[in-house]
Amino acid sequence: MSFEELEHTADIRIRVRGATLEELFSEAARALMTIIYGNTSPGTIRHHIEVDADDTISLIQEFLSEILFVSEVEEMVITGADIHLAGNHLTANLTGEPFSRMKHCGGREVKGISYSDLTIRHEEDSYILEVIFDV
Amino acid sequence: MLPGIKRVAPLEWEVPIGTVPGMRVPGRFFLSDELAKTLEEGAVQQLANVATMPGIVKNSLAMPDIHWGYGFPIGGVAAFSIEEGVISPGGVGFDINCGVRILTTPLHEKDIVKKRELIERLFNAVPTGVGAKSTMRLSPKELEGMLIRGAKWAVDQGFGMESDLVHCEEQGAMAGADPSAVSAKARQRGMPQSGTLGAGNHFLEIQTVREIFQEGAAGAYGLFPGQICIMIHCGSRGLGHQVCTEHLKVLEGATKKYGIVLPDRQLACAPITSSEGRAYFGAMAASSNYAWANRQVIMHMVRKVFSAMFDIQYEEMNLVYDVAHNVAKLEEHVVDGRPMKLCVHRKGATRAFGPGCADLPREYAPWGQPVIIPGSMGTSSYLLHGTNEAMVRTFGSTCHGSGRIMSRTKAKKALSGREVRESLAAEGIIIRAPHDGAIADEAPEVYKPSDEVVRIVDSAGISRLVARFVPLGVIKG
Repeated sequence: MSFEELEHTADIRIRVRGATLEELFSEAARALMTIIYGNTSPGTIRHHIEVDADDTISLIQEFLSEILFVSEVEEMVITGADIHLAGNHLTANLTGEPFSRMKHCGGREVKGISYSDLTIRHEEDSYILEVIFDV
Repeated sequence: MLPGIKRVAPLEWEVPIGTVPGMRVPGRFFLSDELAKTLEEGAVQQLANVATMPGIVKNSLAMPDIHWGYGFPIGGVAAFSIEEGVISPGGVGFDINCGVRILTTPLHEKDIVKKRELIERLFNAVPTGVGAKSTMRLSPKELEGMLIRGAKWAVDQGFGMESDLVHCEEQGAMAGADPSAVSAKARQRGMPQSGTLGAGNHFLEIQTVREIFQEGAAGAYGLFPGQICIMIHCGSRGLGHQVCTEHLKVLEGATKKYGIVLPDRQLACAPITSSEGRAYFGAMAASSNYAWANRQVIMHMVRKVFSAMFDIQYEEMNLVYDVAHNVAKLEEHVVDGRPMKLCVHRKGATRAFGPGCADLPREYAPWGQPVIIPGSMGTSSYLLHGTNEAMVRTFGSTCHGSGRIMSRTKAKKALSGREVRESLAAEGIIIRAPHDGAIADEAPEVYKPSDEVVRIVDSAGISRLVARFVPLGVIKG
């Protein structure tokens, strides 16, 4: 697993690591999908998104919010996110599998991506994200 | 108790100004010594953070189900002056008008002989769990109707009775809803989810009245011992989540624009009278109306199943009341002896208006507004009524549930869903969920005991116990 769950009483708080910011964003998207859908496997559906924000914290919050939106309305379980960052402009080519009620019933519905205690730090050779998902 | 917190009454505590920099008023919360052991520092910090927000009146409050959330603590209540105060999605949450309703039946516990079949039929009738889709096919115009007219829209479509409306907070439709502030993306999410229960802590529960504390009030609310009742807990689904997410972004900008300094970005806010504040209020009210319509549609499905399975009429199943748990409302309260127009945020808290207040059915007026407190899966739920004491001390508010004490990570390690399901089955409580994982997450052990939480609000006088219900069967999302 590319993320770890941290203690939080009401919601889900996770820590994600990535060698680059792009990898961090990609891993965070995969973590979010694993939490919602449980068992996921790579698929061939594609979707493209673009997100602009004022700073890196807003960018990750808005990117993950967009992942939630796309996954729900496109009925797509996103298993790959190829991320390009240019300052605070993000483009992502998403890949995934179609949502199946039988296969993807092992998780918990995430209602939103919280700004509370949302942090990204750089330590030695990796970026570390901590984020709370409202469930 | 945590250091720095002062007891001000046997069940009331104060978080003094200065606990975090910039607090404008003290924090106050209600808790027993027993439950104080489970209080988290994070929750107190969040209570103190709210006290830094512009225009906050009297106190940043929390009910005894206080726990660590995001933005406001869960169980948090704060009122802001209309002229100088702010409105914040951090004081409402992503699940706008997550709420609960309870309806009665003329059935007695002994009438429920095919319990498992009943639960199965309800589970099949109400779309439940992650990715569940509505059987309704809404047109954009119909969605607009939901957003503006809430439960009234649902009743007009045949999902219920006119008399249901007066038994909802705000008659099931908040004034000031502004559908133009609800984006196309939010509508896209809301369209296929009307009449779905959702997942997480949302549920539909068959209960029986086990204990009555006040016969007069119980009679007025239509309850008798051994009676079968149904409780429905859900909210505004993806539509409300999207509204919160998008307005949070707008209000982030507004926070900077109006020079507001906050300790937590999730508390992003704007003056209530600003264009950004008004837009959020309008979108939040519209999402609240969606949620009331949603619960109305689910109740209709429940009534259909019961009237098909038992020898009772649809019209014999009365809605006792429907309350919102996550909402900001414009209300008038008396502060320091003078009436003030306020924006009251309740985040995991329930309105608990006292006897004689407006917005109540006539037969309820002598007792006050019914307050519905769901227990955790397998434990008792309660009906209480609001009090004049609540009007004076908590802007007419009380707790909303039992409040979590164990994190989901710990719950998963400690309990398997199957074990929880089997141990509840041994007590005669049937749990039906799309998968066992959803059960472990919401097991009784992860919550504060509901009995203790309601004992505190009753003893503190901010609401009074009317009846206790025990679960017979639960459908979890």
